[in-house]
Amino acid sequence: MNQTPQSTAPMAGQLPHVLSADNVTKKFDTAEGPLVAVDNISFDVRPGEFLSVIGPSGCGKSTLFNIIGGLTPDHDGTITVDGEVVRGPHPSIGMVFQEESTFPWRTVIDNVCFPLEIANVPKAERLDKARHFINLVGLSGFENRHPSELSGGMRQRVAIARTLVSQPKILLMDEPFAALDEQTRLLLGDKVLQIQQELKQTTLLITHNITEAVQLSDRILVMTYRPGKLKRIVDIDLPRPRTSDVVSSPAFGAYVAKIWGDLREEASRGMAESERAR
Amino acid sequence: MASTDVVKGMARARRSGISVMQVRIVLLVVLLAGWEIMARSGLLYRDVVPPLETIGWALIKLLSSQAFYWNLAVTVAEVLAALAIGGSIGFMTGVLLGGSRFFGRALEPYIYYLGPTPKIIFFPIMIMWFGVGPGSKIAMGAVSCFFPIALSAAAGMRQIEAVLIRVGRSFRASQWQMAMKIYLPAMRPAVMNGIRLGLGIAIIGTLLAETKLSNRGIGYLIMQAYSVFDMPRMYALLITLFAFAIGANAIVGRFGGPAKRQ
Repeated sequence: MNQTPQSTAPMAGQLPHVLSADNVTKKFDTAEGPLVAVDNISFDVRPGEFLSVIGPSGCGKSTLFNIIGGLTPDHDGTITVDGEVVRGPHPSIGMVFQEESTFPWRTVIDNVCFPLEIANVPKAERLDKARHFINLVGLSGFENRHPSELSGGMRQRVAIARTLVSQPKILLMDEPFAALDEQTRLLLGDKVLQIQQELKQTTLLITHNITEAVQLSDRILVMTYRPGKLKRIVDIDLPRPRTSDVVSSPAFGAYVAKIWGDLREEASRGMAESERAR
Repeated sequence: MASTDVVKGMARARRSGISVMQVRIVLLVVLLAGWEIMARSGLLYRDVVPPLETIGWALIKLLSSQAFYWNLAVTVAEVLAALAIGGSIGFMTGVLLGGSRFFGRALEPYIYYLGPTPKIIFFPIMIMWFGVGPGSKIAMGAVSCFFPIALSAAAGMRQIEAVLIRVGRSFRASQWQMAMKIYLPAMRPAVMNGIRLGLGIAIIGTLLAETKLSNRGIGYLIMQAYSVFDMPRMYALLITLFAFAIGANAIVGRFGGPAKRQ
């Protein structure tokens, strides 16, 4: 598991954190001058935890996602995974994208096999692993369908299975349920909770949805509107194993209210600014 | 109203189970009958519009001659060579134009404006470079089909969803794997469409060149029949040419298959 020779931890799980962000800053040059999308953000992800990053639209969440995933090279500060600095897409980080990202010309099983093909895993092993993860996301029986024959929620599950099959240490997701309706989103949240608890999968979720973040997370990082800074870290002390039933508990409501209190001024600032720009 | 009567008649035709194929056959029969009436009426020169029977006999005679098959093989080989050469250069050009915004902006106007120009104006140059034989015909066909295939490949390259490329990068695919597993399959529907267009245009370019100046091929046979005023033979050759074009399109259509897209 540990490819890093400099890793000093003798036992897995003893590491204080699997991923850390140190003073990460990203500026873009725009016509109106430099724009600071992500401003000096630092945080750690602990092994096995579900951590969400929440913020209003335009706070640089997706920029942070791309930096952690190694797809945006020119930034200040460092992302470290298992003591290794991320300088490009890292094998320990598995990304799930916001957009429709299944390959339309591949069947479900071939989509899920994709990362294993890239890694030159032998075919029999590839199919075994792919079937296991298709089963895990609840799509057994759909192996030979094309994405065009599936619903949006099923396609996003294919994308999640495709990322899980590469067995990343950290599952990194950017608003994976943004395009789905509320009920599908809650049910898919249940599926993600179940998988995450079963695999003890360390997960980092980028979202703008408060209920989704509270439903799934152990901790939530709240970001400010432009420039995107870390505003607060909220520990979500709801019982585990968890299902979507928690949304009806009073404690859940209290967390949602608390985070909305933090987000409200950021979101209204963002709204005012975009209206002024119009 | 006459138009509502027509609409009602069409609806009735659908209800009574008249198939598309039946309509096609009826049209063909009507056209052939019209031809036959004109030919037999004596209003037109019999030599220009010969009766169907005469054309039929000419077709049988044509299909039983060895020379016809040899010339057909020449034309088919020329078209295939033109498609292979013009298609592969067109594809590579399209990838370059679609993949680089700079090259696309710099060079694509040339392709857009040269594309609709009748390529036959280059034929004298082709004869000087490649001779009177098949070389100049292949060159004409290749130049003709280069344009639609280059434009389709460039469009296909640009239509690739950016997120699919990011997926490939996130799984650390090599350049070769990106090309084989993402770019090519994503471009396939657009490229197949370009090849379908290119094939038709390659046939036009090749045959046009054959009718201008050549010593073999179907186009050559057509002009030969025309020069000795053997109209039945010329019509028989045209019929074989239609059959060839339809067959070639059907083959490419099968290769293309239905495009799988959301």
